[in-house]
Amino acid sequence: MAVSPLIQQLMEALRCLPGVGNKTAQRMAYHLLERDREGGRQLSAVLAKAMEGIGRCVDCRTLCEGETCSLCASTSRDDSLLCVVESPMDVEALEQATDFRGRYFVLMGHLSPLDGIGPEQLGLDRLAGRFARGGLEEVILATNPTVEGEATAQYISELAREHGIRTTRIAHGVPMGGELEYIDSGTLSHAFAGRRDLG
Amino acid sequence: MSAGTPSASAGPGSRQRIELAPAFVLHQRPYRETSALLEVFTHAQGRVGLIARGARAPRSRRRGELQPFRALRLSWIERGELGTLTGVESAAPGPPLSGRALYSALYLNELLVRLLTRNDPHPVLFERYAHALEALAADAGNVEPTLRLFEKHLLQETGYGLLLDVDCESGEPLRSDALYDYHLEAGPVEVAADTRQGFLFPGSSLLALAAEGELDAAALRDAKRLMRAALSLYLGGKPLKSRELFNRG
Repeated sequence: MAVSPLIQQLMEALRCLPGVGNKTAQRMAYHLLERDREGGRQLSAVLAKAMEGIGRCVDCRTLCEGETCSLCASTSRDDSLLCVVESPMDVEALEQATDFRGRYFVLMGHLSPLDGIGPEQLGLDRLAGRFARGGLEEVILATNPTVEGEATAQYISELAREHGIRTTRIAHGVPMGGELEYIDSGTLSHAFAGRRDLG
Repeated sequence: MSAGTPSASAGPGSRQRIELAPAFVLHQRPYRETSALLEVFTHAQGRVGLIARGARAPRSRRRGELQPFRALRLSWIERGELGTLTGVESAAPGPPLSGRALYSALYLNELLVRLLTRNDPHPVLFERYAHALEALAADAGNVEPTLRLFEKHLLQETGYGLLLDVDCESGEPLRSDALYDYHLEAGPVEVAADTRQGFLFPGSSLLALAAEGELDAAALRDAKRLMRAALSLYLGGKPLKSRELFNRG
């Protein structure tokens, strides 16, 4: 079946989305064309606007439209606490799950030498600048509990210590409602090693 | 059939199943929505590329297991360039690595990925790697000797071994009180004791590295200088990224 070039182009463009292969792209394209032209128009308008208008916050490097993001611009947050995370989605997750009222710094990744990502690519010089400005009492390292996330946390903690700032690492262990026998051995041993005093 | 041996004879395009082969994950890359592309170092097959389907799914048990530095037993089906992971078993969590030991371990992985070609078996190096990880975990404050010896073994195993005990021109054994000009890809050549020009090393440092015993501060410095030059020759100009982690004190 010969598909018109524009439809073909649309399907190929949709394939840039994660998890979208040929078949899904085809389904999406025909859905928009046959059933939801209005939705498609809106999508294209918003997509164009977002691609042009969204940049990085000058303070925390998360994605935002203006110069600084709403969290950094807010005056009601605690400037002495800084939470370092890997992605903007982590900020959202923490905002929803915790009562943290400090500031964030978004790395947009983690140290991964084999992917060519070193301290420079993560903007750690910027973070060091933030440490040097002073006023920070605690840096909370909320990078992922992977080997690379751990290396990133340790590297940043060394940076912070040079400026005399206390660093803490989020705990990792048994999930709420979990049962020990079903938990993988790595998590369990980590949880065991990181046990705390009760009461 | 012993563990880790292919169950069918190898042939072009053939599919073979490998069961519970001792292995370490060197690197993990996201692949598609929930899968991962693994670079693993195995005892019997050397460096192998594997696809771990669903390994990054939210409830996958393999998420934690397929981390670097853990001694694993992996099963997979070999199919062309990339195999498909079918099973993971792990005895214990990896050695506790932190600080410089962790950066060093990442450095070892970068070396292996950069210098080993896929499907080229290096069983001796595999053992050395496992020992090096344990040594790093045991003494995080003193990682240099472990790194130098691993570099030496890596070069040896990949066919670029350094000549460290005989003069490559005269064929005479090295003397610890003599001075040598090291020609990479050839070996040490004795020069007059007052020589200033060249890639110079005291015989004692080269012999200490050859003997793999205790390396004193001077021997460690010389070993580092020699290994850096030798490695950069085979790394093709692109520097090792993990070295940047050490650059601060």
